[in-house]
Amino acid sequence: MLRCSLCGRRAVYDRHYAGVLLCDRCLVKSVERRFRRAIAEHKLIAPSERIAVAVSGGKDSVVCLHMLAEHLRLRNCELAAITIDEGIKGYRDRSLPIAKENAELLGVRHLVVNFEDAFGATLDRMVRLAKRRKTGLNPCTYCGVMRRSLLNQAARELGADKLATAHNLDDEVQAIMLNYVRADLSRLHRLGPIYSPREGFVPRIKPLREIPEKEVALYALLRELRVHLAVCPYAGGIHIEIRDFLNNLEANHPNSKFMILRMFDRLKPQVVRGVPEFEMRRCEVCGEPTSTNVCKSCELLKKLGLEKQRKTLIY
Amino acid sequence: MARITVTVRVFGQRGTRRLRLQARARVTDLLRSLGYNPEVVATRRDGKIVAEGERLANGDLVEIIPIVTGG
Ligand code: SF4
Ligand SMILES: [Zn+2]
Ligand SMILES: [Zn+2]
Repeated sequence: MLRCSLCGRRAVYDRHYAGVLLCDRCLVKSVERRFRRAIAEHKLIAPSERIAVAVSGGKDSVVCLHMLAEHLRLRNCELAAITIDEGIKGYRDRSLPIAKENAELLGVRHLVVNFEDAFGATLDRMVRLAKRRKTGLNPCTYCGVMRRSLLNQAARELGADKLATAHNLDDEVQAIMLNYVRADLSRLHRLGPIYSPREGFVPRIKPLREIPEKEVALYALLRELRVHLAVCPYAGGIHIEIRDFLNNLEANHPNSKFMILRMFDRLKPQVVRGVPEFEMRRCEVCGEPTSTNVCKSCELLKKLGLEKQRKTLIY
Repeated sequence: MARITVTVRVFGQRGTRRLRLQARARVTDLLRSLGYNPEVVATRRDGKIVAEGERLANGDLVEIIPIVTGG
């Protein structure tokens, strides 16, 4: 039997990048410590702030919700969970009840915002329209842009000071690599533990950014949290290739993911300087903040023959 | 060399399969032989999470849980 390098109990995890074996207790403690350290080190949350957290029901967001609820309870902060229901049959309809169940369990206010109400169509329908109209765009483009916009709007309407998302180490490193591959400086420079753009945008925080995906998953399993473990039917393309590449790299060269993250964090001040300043405006169609005349969501919707249906999400 | 037989189940899939492995094979050998990168799965043996360096024994029931999810 393999034993924990710290306490000698039965090991459940080989943390190759640190050269240690960990038992269930030491792993759970370590994950929680990293979560708290990220919050303290990058000043992600100030006392008495109102925090919104995006919860899909997947393992990362459920873990994030539980850790935030436990952390904030002692700090006089208010927490609310937001689930965006994009309308992905067989996937989101299964994770949504799990998001709800976890919020209820913790006594956290839970809000569901769906694509159909906001945009007049589910993501499934947008995908069909996109195919018919030959837009050449993949489902993740619609999903990503519109979900981000709704999350921001819902958090703002809730009066949240911060919007927490459950991006883990793997997600962040994949995003870094993807933006390198696409040479997308303007997206690259937004990555980091906290991104506070301008008025109209709620600052986004990522408290799980230094926790590897596998450790988040083990944390959920060890604490027996109810999570939805499934893959979106639309997942595919270059994202998957980059993810597989990074996982192979990490298996053969432990610590690679952390190294990529650390290097990016060191380069970031220079990266930020290379991004031109832009003026903030209101979208002519929906009024949401944007750097152009029409926001990206409205631009995508227009090409599908759709338009934003609700200007306010929360009544 | 002596060999062992373990039963493998993949979370979310139907059925189980039996696998013959070298005696003293580790969880990681089993994962590799099935084409899984240990980075993307958690493994339970007889219901308990195990480290990938753990050695398997004849008759073990191993459950593989793919943990890379979402989108
Ligand atoms: S894989 Fe694409 S379509 Fe599916 S949830 Fe993620 S971004 Fe949306
Ligand atoms: Zn221990
Ligand atoms: Zn708009």
